[in-house]
Amino acid sequence: MNKDKIFKLAKGFRGRAKNCIRIARERVEKALQYSYRDRRNKKRDMRSLWIQRINAGTRLHGVNYGNFMHGLMKENIQLNRKVLSEISMHEPHSFKALVDISRTAFPGNKSSVVLLEKKAFQLFYEW
Amino acid sequence: MALLCGSTSVRSQDLSVVPLDERWMFEESEVNGPDIWNKTWYPKAADHVNTDKPWYIVDATDKILGRLASTIAIHIRGKNLATYTPSVDMGAFVIVVNADKVAVSGKKRTQKLYRRHSGRPGGMKVETFAQLQQRIPERIIEHAVRGMLPKGRLGRKLFNHLKVYKGSDHPHEAQKPTELPIRDKRIQMTR
Repeated sequence: MNKDKIFKLAKGFRGRAKNCIRIARERVEKALQYSYRDRRNKKRDMRSLWIQRINAGTRLHGVNYGNFMHGLMKENIQLNRKVLSEISMHEPHSFKALVDISRTAFPGNKSSVVLLEKKAFQLFYEW
Repeated sequence: MALLCGSTSVRSQDLSVVPLDERWMFEESEVNGPDIWNKTWYPKAADHVNTDKPWYIVDATDKILGRLASTIAIHIRGKNLATYTPSVDMGAFVIVVNADKVAVSGKKRTQKLYRRHSGRPGGMKVETFAQLQQRIPERIIEHAVRGMLPKGRLGRKLFNHLKVYKGSDHPHEAQKPTELPIRDKRIQMTR
């Protein structure tokens, strides 16, 4: 790429990296590599942010993210995490309805642990 | 936390008077309002004004240090809110009172060490939990919470939202702090 193109891409860089071609060329190459990598990372980061927001939203209703998603998968609700996070922020009543659907479909591990302990207890007494 | 956005249709001018073949001039967001379903929400300045943030108060008497610090850090960072954003300060303010009565389990009272270094050779200063509690009790909770907040510009700003006091009174009555909701069952030290 010729110098003008490099300087055009080097706008806003710190110190000599925006003015001097030798330094600017290195920094611009690095910046382009970072932007290539980060176009792929952005998809991951966004999904992670949606999951964190959904987690916070469901915990307000006493359910954690893992159990919530398991319940939704069981009910075959195919809303993606982006939409679920927007619902949790903008439509709290609809989100509560979703949490209730998930809770009826999958009540969570606590009840299954209690059931297992009860079964073990019964077997012990049948001896 | 629900956002108070009732009508999302913000129109700069009434588009019903525009003839059909000129509607291409107007952007999607002007016609139908901002797209909230395809763009991930990012808070505007009005969404995180410091004066509108909630204030919480917690009494540290006989609470386990680490568990208490963890709940405080979650509330200060805003991770309990559905509107959590990592790059923006969405959290609340937390007041801790009776910081000198915070508890630790096991033998940590005499064995947990707090270290600091003055920068000069041989300048490592070590003191135990009990000694630091004697000297500056607020620093114990501050040290614990600072370790649990993110390290960086935003983390340093978040740390200023923690207010720790030695006794049981605090100067923030005007902010009307509410009780910090604690969900951890093992946070209270039982003798």
